[in-house]
Amino acid sequence: MDLTHLVLVALAGGVLALDATSAGQFMVSRPLVAGTLTGWLVGDPSQGLLIGALLELYLLVSFPVGGARFPEGPTATVVAVATAVGGQGVGAVPVAMAVGLIWGQIGGWTITKLRRLNGRLVPEPGESDAGPRRVVTAHLGALGLDFLRGVLVTFTGVLVGALVVDRLAPAWPLSAADSLGLLIVGGGVSCGILLRSLGGFRRRKAVFAVGMALGLAFARFL
Amino acid sequence: MSTVLPARSLRSAFARSFLVQGSWNYHTMLGSGFAFAILPVLRVLSGDDRGRLEASVRRHLAHFNAHPYLADLALGATIRLEADGEDEETVKRFKAAVRGPLGSLGDSLVWGSWLPAVSLISLASVWLGASPAVAVILFLGLYNLGHVFLRAWGFRTGLREGRSVARHLGMSGLGAWTERIRFAAAGLLGLAVGAILAGDGGLVEAGPLWGGLSIGAFVCGLLVGHRVWRPAAVAVVSTVALLATWGLVV
Repeated sequence: MDLTHLVLVALAGGVLALDATSAGQFMVSRPLVAGTLTGWLVGDPSQGLLIGALLELYLLVSFPVGGARFPEGPTATVVAVATAVGGQGVGAVPVAMAVGLIWGQIGGWTITKLRRLNGRLVPEPGESDAGPRRVVTAHLGALGLDFLRGVLVTFTGVLVGALVVDRLAPAWPLSAADSLGLLIVGGGVSCGILLRSLGGFRRRKAVFAVGMALGLAFARFL
Repeated sequence: MSTVLPARSLRSAFARSFLVQGSWNYHTMLGSGFAFAILPVLRVLSGDDRGRLEASVRRHLAHFNAHPYLADLALGATIRLEADGEDEETVKRFKAAVRGPLGSLGDSLVWGSWLPAVSLISLASVWLGASPAVAVILFLGLYNLGHVFLRAWGFRTGLREGRSVARHLGMSGLGAWTERIRFAAAGLLGLAVGAILAGDGGLVEAGPLWGGLSIGAFVCGLLVGHRVWRPAAVAVVSTVALLATWGLVV
């Protein structure tokens, strides 16, 4: 990947990281969307969509709830897509996804650190100089820091990811179908957790079965 | 006595509410974001009285938390209380009373129901052969229809109802909507699973080994719940690393 694309991808990571919690939350940051957008940026939207969809499966049960620590989906996805598209062979997708999942944890850790920093940045209610200007400056400053955090996490992730994918992907021993199968197995866990949190199998088995029959029929006949 | 607020300051407060989590921190949580969002209205209400403006900003900096979309409901209602000239203690008590319900209701409605439901529709579309543009537009269009509607409804309801917004929230049927969306989401999960099993590049192409392992993983998630997510992700990453290393060595 050339420097222009690397900078573009890092900036995209910053903007998408902002959307996840700090600004808007329009969910442009969800892996499915972030993956496709990154794919467009690096010239392969279909690959972006595939990796985005796989990571969306994994992160179906990961939401920015309150003060919980969660893996950061957008930077994980941007790193995975950018490194997979630049990689060679069948192994590029699984290796890049593994790097993305690790980077999602690192991204989540940096969010925790930033939130601690924000606590020192924003004025206390009791402070005498906690006027409107200070509130606006601190708030916009925190947004700017989150953007920078996203840019840095993505930039370093793509650099490290490209090295790992270049080294490991060419020697990948599985076929494309087996690789996809392996990655979907991890997503199966999230689907099970989601059904549990939607009310459990006993309570939802009828509607789940109807949906599954429709899914199988659509896949067969569409 | 109620002050009539200019539409411009209300629009500005609503627009700023999209940034309410911008300075989220473990101490005051949404406190500083709330003060940032309500600032255009406080400027109007304070007029030329700089001291009054600073005092009211400091008040709103205090700890506050809610789901970011439903924070608009609290914001609208607090604007109404401020415009009605309610005393400091009343505003403080109101914000403390609504923060819990707005957090749990929003988490359950949006993160626990609406977002997964829309994600599952888009995921099913991917495995049924939708193009990247269709999958993305489907997700963003559907999701934000609900998202922006919820914020706008909350802001307007809060502005109209003021202090009685909590009662209105109880009658709004959001809890019933959450249950309906969860029911639909369970069906959509089935749809997505069916599409992933038999759709383009799905498990049928991968073979019975991966199909069996995926069913096992699904059952494991169903029985154990959230606790198994991280170990499962670690297992996938470790397997990829082992296979790649094995490929290098052999």
